[in-house]
Formats: sequence, C-alpha cells, structure tokens
Amino acid sequence: MALVEGGLTISSPAGKIAEVIEAQTTLFTAQCYELYGLPALGSLVRTGDVYGIVASAATVPLEAGRRPVALGHDVATEEAVFRENPQLGRLFRSEFSAVVVGFREGERVYQYLPALPARIHGFVYLCGDEEVRTFSRSLGFLETLLHAVVAVPPEELVSASLRQMSRKHADPDAFLIAAGKMLAHLLSDDYPRLRSILGRLR
Amino acid sequence: MPLDISKVAGEVFALAHRMRERHGEREEAISFALKTMHEATGRLEGLKQKVAASRTTYLVAEIVEGLGEKFAACAVPIDFTVIATDGSHIDVDRHQAARCYLINTGSVVMRYGTSPAARLASTPRFYGDEADLEITPPGGGRGQAVEGTLLGIKRAVEELRALLELAGALPAGTEVLGLLDGSLILWGLEAYPEFVADVLVGREMVGCLDGMKEIARRLKFALASYISYPRSTDVVNLLRVAVCPVEAADCDRLCPPGKERACDRLSGLRDRDLFFRTLLPGERSALFASRSQIVRSRYGVHRIHFYYLHTGDEIARVEVPAWVAEDRGLLELSHALILDQCRRGQGYPVALMEAHEQAVLSTRDRENFRSLLESALAEARLPLTASGKSTSKRIRWL
Repeated sequence: MALVEGGLTISSPAGKIAEVIEAQTTLFTAQCYELYGLPALGSLVRTGDVYGIVASAATVPLEAGRRPVALGHDVATEEAVFRENPQLGRLFRSEFSAVVVGFREGERVYQYLPALPARIHGFVYLCGDEEVRTFSRSLGFLETLLHAVVAVPPEELVSASLRQMSRKHADPDAFLIAAGKMLAHLLSDDYPRLRSILGRLR
Repeated sequence: MPLDISKVAGEVFALAHRMRERHGEREEAISFALKTMHEATGRLEGLKQKVAASRTTYLVAEIVEGLGEKFAACAVPIDFTVIATDGSHIDVDRHQAARCYLINTGSVVMRYGTSPAARLASTPRFYGDEADLEITPPGGGRGQAVEGTLLGIKRAVEELRALLELAGALPAGTEVLGLLDGSLILWGLEAYPEFVADVLVGREMVGCLDGMKEIARRLKFALASYISYPRSTDVVNLLRVAVCPVEAADCDRLCPPGKERACDRLSGLRDRDLFFRTLLPGERSALFASRSQIVRSRYGVHRIHFYYLHTGDEIARVEVPAWVAEDRGLLELSHALILDQCRRGQGYPVALMEAHEQAVLSTRDRENFRSLLESALAEARLPLTASGKSTSKRIRWL
C-alpha cells in the first residue's frame, strides 16, 4: 500500500519532476509527482539519456469518469478551496508531453532521434542551466520541432523553447540571433511562418 | 435483446399515481406520529417501562436521551482528522474452476486545519485458502462457505479492521472522526449457525472495536457509521408501543394476523419521516440504543447507539458504539464533523465518497481479475473447467 502525502508544493526546478507513462520514438508523456508541478512550455527535459522539449501539458481528473464541480462559493481564495478539500490534491494529475529532440551518449549530445524510445516509469528531470547551455550549443533540434506532430502549433513550440533556452545563456540576444539565422535558413521558402516565430521570441 | 421499456411503462406510471393517492394517508400518519411523540415526551419513564415489559414482533429503540429532543451542532475544531474506509468485493464464482474471492478496501485520511493533507489508498486482498473460504465450527463438522451475504458481512469486518489500522497510526492528541458506510450492526447473521456469529462478531468485530476503544484513550477518537436515506423504524416502533392500548404489548398473543391494531395508524412510516419534520438543518435527534438481539447478546461494551441527523439535504442515521455515546465530547465531535463532512461533500460525507471511489471495482477490474486467474491456472497446466453457462454468457455466439 503506497500512501503519499498530498499537497501543492512544487518540486525543486533541478530535481526529478515526473515519470514517463507513455513513450514513443518521437514523443513521451509524463505524469508529474505534484499537482501543477509542470515544466513550462518549451522547457528542456531529460529521461534517461533521452532529451525532450515540453510540447503540451494538462491537469485532468485522475479518473476520467469524475468531473470537477465548483467548490469555491463560500471561500475567499483559490488556495482555500484546496485547504478545505485536501483530497483534491490527490484526485487530479498534471501531465505533459515532450517531443524527443535528441539524446546523449557518454559526454556527447546528438540532436536526432535515439535508437530506442524513453522507458516507461523513467524519471523525468528538468534540465539545469548548464545542461540547457550544453544542449543548445547546437540548434539542430529546431528542425525536429518544426516538423513535430503535436497539438500545439510548431511555431508556438519553437518560439517557447527558444525563449526558455535564451534565459540560460549569458548573452540571450546572441543566442536568439543565432537561432533566428538558423530558422531563416530552415524556413527560407516560408516567410509568414518565420515571421510568426520571430514575432514570438520576446 | 434490449429491454422493451414500453411494456412496463404503463405500470410504472400507475405506481406513481397510487403513491400520489396515498399521500394524504401518509400525511395523516405523520401528524399522528408527531402528536404521539409530543405526548410521550411528557411521560418517558412510563414508556421506558412499557417497552421493557412488551414483547413485540418489531424492533423498538431504547430511550437514552429523551424522544423529541433536538441538539444543535457544536463548533468544528480548528485542527482535526477524518479517516474512513469502504470496501468492494469479487464474490466466489461458482462457475469458475478455482474457488476464491477478493476484497478491495479503500481508505482515506484527511487532515483539516492549519496543515491540511490527504492520503487515499486502496488495498486489494486475495482469499484462496481453505481457512478463508469456510468458517468451521470449533469442534469440527460442517463449515459455512464464505460467499454471498456472508462475504458481505466479512467485508464489513475488514472495513472496520482497516479503519482500526488507520486510527492506530495517528499521533496522540489528534481529534479524529472515524467513519464507515452503512450499519455497525452486522445484520443477516441470524440466518447462519451460532459459530459464524461467534467468529465474525464475537472475535473479529468486537476485537476491532476493543482496539478502537483502546485508541480512544489516547486520541479524541469518535467512531461512527453513516447511513444515508435510512429505512429503519426503531423510533416509529417506539411510538407503536406508546399507542398500544394494553399495558404491555404482546404482538403475537394479542394481535394475531388479520386483527385491526391501534398501531396500524403508524404503518409505512420510517424514522426519517418523523425527524425530517422535527429537526432543523444541522440538528441531531436524541440518542437511542439498539435493542436488536445481536447487539444485546454480542456487542458487550460496544452496544450500538444511534441518532438521526438533518444534514441539510436529508435525514441520515448515525450509529456509534456505547463508549462514543456515553462521552459527551466524542458524541458532539461525531455530530459536528459528520455535518462538516456533508457540507464539504455536497450532502454526503466527502471521506466516505473518496473511500468508496478508492474501493470500487469496475467491470473491467473484475474481468482483469478473472483473466489473471485463468492465466495462472493455464500456466500451472490446470484445466479451465468453467461452467457451460459461464462460457455461454461470455462468448454470446450467434
């Protein structure tokens, strides 16, 4: 019998945040350990040696047949709804999907698909600043993201990942300019799309 | 074939029509009951003695705290915990080769106040040993198979045992409501030999209640069971005794079948009908004690008491053991916290709702269990001798 204390604390940004519950070659889905413990859209995450970019997220009832009802009529704050109903923290799950953008092998990082998908129940970590910088030395992942088949439009996904990564670099502008150049090359025949992404970088 | 609903629709509407016609009679019965209750409140001692001297064919409540008294709920403590368990089971399938059953117990610990938290869990337990499948008399002889009604009773005992475990793990000083769904009285055992009740009530149930009473020495622990929309008539039956024209009622001797009786004016009423008229939302009724045979002969110091509670939506019956009933603080805690649970749970105790959600076994769960059983038998190279009837139901060939 596994009993886990409920609550709303959010995991430390550098720690283990979720666990893989579905894995394909191009995508994996993970369930967060904490309700709302979701990584931001576009964040770089890693499970085992597989890297992914967070491409969509949702908070849904643990059981599909149960529908939430409004509970806050008599309380002043949203926090009070959870304080008055502590079971709620145990009855919903936050999960996210990540597009596979590469993998590591020893010290080397490759920005193309790994031979095998992520492992079920694999722990998912939010990559720290250094790991993000190392990964984003190369921008080959942008091509993978542009072709990703996910619910979020690829333009949103590409721009979100670049905004997230640029914050980890000492010179965010230089990083974004380099990425912009790369995108201009990849989207040389699709100016509206390029403009759509560039317009979302700030 | 799907149900041809048009063939029964006429009868369904006729039933509703008959109920509507009887509405007037029912109102008259309720008024008579309320008048009787009011009159009896002034001469309680006489009524108590009459009950004690009477021999009735129906179950009569014992007066403990009055009859028409009403009590408002006390304030809810700042910090408190509610624990609850509920169960679900897969019965022995007599069409299957392997005899076994499964009980899934849902348990909930909810802490409210300055540091709120919740723990929800479900624990399945498989029973396949001979000792699990049959209750045997002490000196040997023909045992009683644990299935059907008896498995339901065993499950109720397991729910109590799970609640005892939860209570045992709570830190000293906590104010706790321990909640179960349904009655604390193990109804239905009268149909079985005495040794079955010796085991299930005398040893198992009372053993758990002893453990809880012990826990209540170090925690403020109120054990209660909650019955939604109760069908009980113990208090109405008290009024039957009150209106009985003879000094001491003796149903079998004085009122043979077919004879018109003074108490017939109260027929069809349930206790909830009375208290829905007398209690205001949040109030509880007076406390009563159960005079049922099984409680009086087997529950000992845990004699079951009960009161009715107006939850705001309905009248619920709350049952507590004597050591809660006799401790004013625990009794008031049960009243205040059950009401609070109903408020948080949209009319039904939220802890019981979540315990049920943890315990419930879906059709798919049941199918998975059957598949697992069949796989295990196949792996052991045992024949899967399911009955022809069971196979035909599953395959549904054309």
